[in-house]
Amino acid sequence: MSSSAAPAHLLPLTSSAASRRRCSKSSATASVSRLHSPESIVQSNLPSAALSSSLQNPKPSKSPPFLLNYLISPKSLGPSAASCILFHLAKPVFSGSGYIFNFGGGGGGGQGGGGGGGGGGGSDGGEGGCFWTRIFSPAAIAKDDEPQQEWDSHGLPANIVVQLNKLSGFKKYKVSEILFLDRRRGSTVGTEDSFFEMVSLRPGGIYTKAQLQKELETLATCGMFEKVDLETKTNPDGTISITIPFLESTWQSADRFRCINVGLMPQSKPIEMDPDMTEKERLEYYRSQEKDYRRRIERSRPCLLPIPVQREILQMLRQQGKVSARLLQRIRDRVQQWYHENGYACAQVVNFGNLNTKEVVCEVVEGDITQLVIQFQDKLGNICEGNTQFPVIKRELPKQLRQGQVFNIEAGKQALRNINSLALFSNIEVNPRPDEKNEGGIIVEVKLKELEQKSAEVSTEWSIVPGRGGRPTLASIQPGGTVSFEHRNIKGLNRSLLGSVTTSNFLNPQDDLAFKLEYVHPYLDGVYNPRNRTFRASCFNSRKLSPVFTGGPGIEEVPPIWVDRAGVKANITENFTRQSKFTYGLVMEEITTRDESSHIAANGQRVLPSGGVSADGPPTTLSGTGVDRMAFLQANITRDNTKFLNGAIVGERNVFQLDQGLGIGSKFPFFNRHQLTVTRFLQLKQVEEGAGKPPPPVLVLHGHYGGCVGDLPSYDAFTLGGPYSVRGYNMGELGAARNILELAAELRIPIRNTHVYVFAEHGNDLGSSKDVKGNPTEVYRRMGHGSSYGAGVKLGLVRAEYAVDQNSGTGAIFFRFGERF
Amino acid sequence: MAGELVREWTAIQQFPAATQEKLVDLLGKLKNQDVNTLTILVMGKGGVGKSSTVNSIIGERVVTVSAFQAETPRPVMVSRSRSGFTLNIIDTPGLVEGGYVSDQVLDTIKSFLGRFLLNKTIDVLLYVDRLDTYRVDNLDKQIVKAITDSFGKEIWHKAMVVLTHAQLSPPDALSYEEFFSKRSESLLKCVRQGARISKKDAKNFGIPVALVENSGRCNKNEHDEKILPTGTPWIPNLVHIITDVSLNGKSGILVDQKLIEGPNANDRGKVFIPLILALQYFFVIKPIQKWIKDDVARESRPAWD
Repeated sequence: MSSSAAPAHLLPLTSSAASRRRCSKSSATASVSRLHSPESIVQSNLPSAALSSSLQNPKPSKSPPFLLNYLISPKSLGPSAASCILFHLAKPVFSGSGYIFNFGGGGGGGQGGGGGGGGGGGSDGGEGGCFWTRIFSPAAIAKDDEPQQEWDSHGLPANIVVQLNKLSGFKKYKVSEILFLDRRRGSTVGTEDSFFEMVSLRPGGIYTKAQLQKELETLATCGMFEKVDLETKTNPDGTISITIPFLESTWQSADRFRCINVGLMPQSKPIEMDPDMTEKERLEYYRSQEKDYRRRIERSRPCLLPIPVQREILQMLRQQGKVSARLLQRIRDRVQQWYHENGYACAQVVNFGNLNTKEVVCEVVEGDITQLVIQFQDKLGNICEGNTQFPVIKRELPKQLRQGQVFNIEAGKQALRNINSLALFSNIEVNPRPDEKNEGGIIVEVKLKELEQKSAEVSTEWSIVPGRGGRPTLASIQPGGTVSFEHRNIKGLNRSLLGSVTTSNFLNPQDDLAFKLEYVHPYLDGVYNPRNRTFRASCFNSRKLSPVFTGGPGIEEVPPIWVDRAGVKANITENFTRQSKFTYGLVMEEITTRDESSHIAANGQRVLPSGGVSADGPPTTLSGTGVDRMAFLQANITRDNTKFLNGAIVGERNVFQLDQGLGIGSKFPFFNRHQLTVTRFLQLKQVEEGAGKPPPPVLVLHGHYGGCVGDLPSYDAFTLGGPYSVRGYNMGELGAARNILELAAELRIPIRNTHVYVFAEHGNDLGSSKDVKGNPTEVYRRMGHGSSYGAGVKLGLVRAEYAVDQNSGTGAIFFRFGERF
Repeated sequence: MAGELVREWTAIQQFPAATQEKLVDLLGKLKNQDVNTLTILVMGKGGVGKSSTVNSIIGERVVTVSAFQAETPRPVMVSRSRSGFTLNIIDTPGLVEGGYVSDQVLDTIKSFLGRFLLNKTIDVLLYVDRLDTYRVDNLDKQIVKAITDSFGKEIWHKAMVVLTHAQLSPPDALSYEEFFSKRSESLLKCVRQGARISKKDAKNFGIPVALVENSGRCNKNEHDEKILPTGTPWIPNLVHIITDVSLNGKSGILVDQKLIEGPNANDRGKVFIPLILALQYFFVIKPIQKWIKDDVARESRPAWD
């Protein structure tokens, strides 16, 4: 977290309206008090710690692959309730990895003038007089830091006390020391005391007389003190020491506490108190004020502060006895701390009312959202008409960000993530700003920069293939590459069409041509319908090495069979949660099986003992010709409620996949091929959730059943063995069968910031290998079942594991990417 | 060769008169039972003398044999007819290849049967092995098992064991008869195990054993018939047992599509697919959908929501 970045993102807010409100409110707050604005203990100087602590990296489980870099610049929020938090998400169009949150605290009204600005300071300061906090604007700080900015010696004898008004108005004084002197106790208060927050003066700073006077004015009007003064003492070295003698305000003790939300409430007009009022009139006046205040309380809305915190504060009140300014300050801090810890970054305690009665009323402006604005920006940041339709964005916004809700920073971040997952925008900002027409209100601005709708890309590569005799010739230079295009966000409804063609040889593209054409149509049930179904249609091809034609242990290399699939697919995906979904659709494909030299192979090959190769192994296709065509229905339902608990996955995942043949295709394939996967991540110890807390040990139990009734071509047979089946064996090394059962258990023990694990796995063909035509399991001398056990350690993305296969009893070390389960 | 027309069994005349007489007798017996065709399948390990036995039965050199040249490369069917009676003998390559039972050989045999004998029956199986091998090992069992898997257990009702190289001097301290009975008993035991014939069932499967000596140096009796060391002329004896087996009341093995292609697992349970699909929908997909709904309901909302 770099606070140095703060100034850059600081939003200069004109919040004079807000400050005026606060001041005027003081008169409404009737009750008591010798001070004319006793309640205006408001204010903020929002501790930056509170804000930053609410920013624990909320990396979502299953987060998208890009890195989240939070560049957070907490900045004390300005005194107005209109503190401002700017979410800024920048996603470079091509790298797609940057992700920045910038939090810039908004400045306050007084701040603009208080700094180097000069002129405005007076007027703003007058109104902002009830703040006891002032923050120097960056400009002012910069000014102070400038080396050429010399200070002036006081030019007076050393060690004399000088009245403030005796100081020269033309000199810049350097303040070497600031002391608060509690007159009641007769002692100075330590620098850690909360009073120090209230002065903007800092030891070592350079100030003019006007600044010091304004400081004093601020202190005098803030309501914390019954009496406050500012004395300067000259030092021999030309600097001055400041002593602030004060008398803290106190009120009657209270035994009740009430917290109310006064956001968006109309301000009652201040009634000037006529100094010539008779005692009766004065009482009348107080009574009417009290009545007004009671009405105000009645009209206010209940606040979000939970009962336990309220009780805690009540405890503070009771312990204290007399209500003092410092106690109110502590209460304010506690209340604001709760709000900020819970993400209500715009919440401010604006006032304490009803003092000198039995009850302390804490008035909070929680930051009610009065408006949600979605804006599009062009490349230069100008507001422009967007292509994306608003409902598409609105459905991604959490409820908490809608009008009438209290602004919450977590909801803002959620909105940011949700909108980002649309992948339509290069830049996303979710930005609360004060509503100038509606005091205490927040307008949430969502600013979006759209990505180009259409894009096309060509990448080329030359490959030099060894020709005859191993030497490359001119003819062996092959131009290859990828041509792709994408049309995103068609009609502004996030529909997209994308296609790509890849070949390693453009001169002879029939050799290996990979293509894909996909159309995605989200919001199938209408963009206003909460049901989230997406239609997808695609043309595809793929080429994979068949694990069915793999040798068992001890058998020399089995000539490989490539399975080429090309076809069209149309399906509908319904998302229930981020991870749980149901997909169903139709697949029509042509499957071609080829040997090493890309010739169509109708049968697997096998190596004869004599060393020759015979091409009459198990048939590769259902039709027996090497080319199959079929149409089938495909459904997949995934239930996944896993989540990250301090970095460890816990929860459960169930997947059921079904391919239902329709009897359409070569040899009228009619089949029901099904797979059920059940994985449980059992947490073995209760742990506290939170960043930096250790993850719990986890026991993973996994079962996978696959079966097929009806026509089963060998390329659809279930294979046993491999990193995602039975570890310790090669892909398909245990067999290829009609029905399989795999069982696995893994125990993960966290160590430092990674984990080690032990596992045991078993895979079994349930005797169904012979039910695959040609019995490839037996032809290639495979066992049909096998177990393994081992141990490993996770190193970042890589798993390093030692696995022992029990068929041969030998072990080996494997390095794998990603997770097994 | 296999495809050729059925030829007249002329070579029968080259047998010694006594043998001829007995053969004609047996053929007549078959004809009396209304059996006009006899199909014999010869199987066994390589190099045990399957082809020579076939040649001996027919009486001519129909299948090439040579001492060192291994193997008949593919199945061969020899058909001879005599006065309305047809004898088919199918000679096959050895079932063992590289120390393993070769599925491939079995497949070629089956596809051969499918091509030439579709919808006909195999009347007799000759399981050929040598008499002069002392040990029965796992491989023998594997062969029997492979044959059983391919043709079904029933084939052993129509089977007989043929032991070649019958003219031998048994090892010391054993009489020829003793040796023969021991050898045949161990082999039959192996067959029973390989074919998974239980001891109870063994009586039903009375697999006869016949001895054969194909060598030209085979001893002959006064009628010029080739005889075994026991003095029995073996060709009539063999044909006699063959006729017995063919007439033993059990039905022969019908060569049909199912036999050739093996049990078609792809067809098994196909009729139940609609039912399976319905079960999957109601008992797998629906419950999972319900779980998801529960998950959604149970999902811990963030504090601010």
